[in-house]
Amino acid sequence: MISATADASAPGVPGFVESAFGPLVYQAAQRCLSTRPGDGARTAVVLASRMGDATTLDLGSRRLVAGQVHNPLLFMQSTANAILGHISRDFGITGPLLSLSTMDDIGTELRATARLLFEDGELDRVLLIGVELAGTARTAAACRELHTEPPATDSAFAILVEQNEDTKP
Amino acid sequence: MSPDVVVTGFGVRTVFGSGADAVRDGVFGGHPAFAPITRFDTGAYRTKMAAAAGQPEPLREVLYGCAEAATAMAGLPAGDTAVLVGTAGDFTGLTRFWRDNESPDVADTVPARQAELLADRLELRGGRMAFTNACVASASAITHACRLIAGGRAESALCAGGYLVEEENLAKFDSGFALSGKGEVRPFSADRSGLLLGDGAAAVVLESAGHARRRGARVLGAVTGWGAASDAYHVARPHPEGAGLAAAVRQALRRAGTPVDYVNAHGTATRHNDPAEARGLRAVFGADAIPVSSTKGVTGHLLEASGVVEFVITLLALADGVLPPTAGFTEPDPECDLDCVPNRPRRAELRRALTVNAAFGGANTALVLERA
Repeated sequence: MISATADASAPGVPGFVESAFGPLVYQAAQRCLSTRPGDGARTAVVLASRMGDATTLDLGSRRLVAGQVHNPLLFMQSTANAILGHISRDFGITGPLLSLSTMDDIGTELRATARLLFEDGELDRVLLIGVELAGTARTAAACRELHTEPPATDSAFAILVEQNEDTKP
Repeated sequence: MSPDVVVTGFGVRTVFGSGADAVRDGVFGGHPAFAPITRFDTGAYRTKMAAAAGQPEPLREVLYGCAEAATAMAGLPAGDTAVLVGTAGDFTGLTRFWRDNESPDVADTVPARQAELLADRLELRGGRMAFTNACVASASAITHACRLIAGGRAESALCAGGYLVEEENLAKFDSGFALSGKGEVRPFSADRSGLLLGDGAAAVVLESAGHARRRGARVLGAVTGWGAASDAYHVARPHPEGAGLAAAVRQALRRAGTPVDYVNAHGTATRHNDPAEARGLRAVFGADAIPVSSTKGVTGHLLEASGVVEFVITLLALADGVLPPTAGFTEPDPECDLDCVPNRPRRAELRRALTVNAAFGGANTALVLERA
């Protein structure tokens, strides 16, 4: 098992310009995948985030209510598929790509999902990614309604789990 | 082969209304339901049409309606059932928040909250989670449930998905030139011009065969195979040879261990999707003229709900022995060389069927269903 965190040094990712979400995810993933290359056909990627890329999502919504045309460069970037697709292309990963939103502990859900994926017998490795942004006024309001605290900072981590490793939390 | 995951209940809603008969009339009848959008101002957009009826409703209520119907059909009591929902959250709450600087239901914009609300209202106390991977989200929820049940980690799961046409996604798809400007959707046709959005939601109850038998539940069908794979090709476009789709289908067929008689395709009617999907299916099935249809020609693209609504459509096809048509089909495209059941339903002896979905970012899913 290899783990990595992203940090404020996360370089930009071409096309992912308005939010830290994509760059943080990419950096955390790259730090794991570059350290231990493997068979992309037998690798899955699972991303978990309660709120997702709220920065991009809310930017699009703010532009919409202001009567501005949606920026085609942001087309669907608020969905995690965008950065996961970028990672899969760069690292030749052709296993499943999943993104989840949970109210429970992200690490626990990620590891449970990895165990399930391994049971299919099609995979040797699962890259688990947890990411949460400090958020927007909307996510802050949602957190108040849900009686939870928003994250203090933008953060992402990645864990590369290999088959037969202990994937218990 | 994994014969242990069975379907015991479903609830479905499309632009045609709620329930199986509405699907039979509209989807199997091949009647496109695209009309001018009236629930918000479309003046700023090139495309002003969708398969959306009436005024907006809270996504949570539409999901609950489907889930309640599914659990009632299954006779599923409150208990340890997992709740897995394909959703990106309620986008009308998102728009309302930024328009009014408040929203009484802003938490409904959080995808996981939709799963939690559903679980709490139905008193289902298993794990709950939302799948947010766009057009494969609810198919991923079903796949996850199959893994949980086949692996003995859960006895039952409620899988749902919902999308209701709203302005946020219309603006995005419009900006990306993905929408048909002609008010029609023509999957696999030479003159296809893009997709249109549609209202859709569904919920299905999956459980282990043993659990269903012990409860005395009526089995509607089985999920015998599932697969998921990605293209590793492009952020927005599918692999031109449908490589990820073919890999997902091969996995599902390998697990099922049996051939299928029909494929419910993703079939968005976009320039790039349909030929890629056709090539992927041809790569798996070869020259066999297996019938393949896309129901998005009548329902529109249901985004996160696509997988579970099309799962229900496929289940009904198996139950009724009828292939739903690819509505809006005009002329064959040599790039989409398929028997695509054009415009009219077709009677067929069906034992097993495949339903596939694809999402941007290169994610693909495949599910094999077997008739009860």
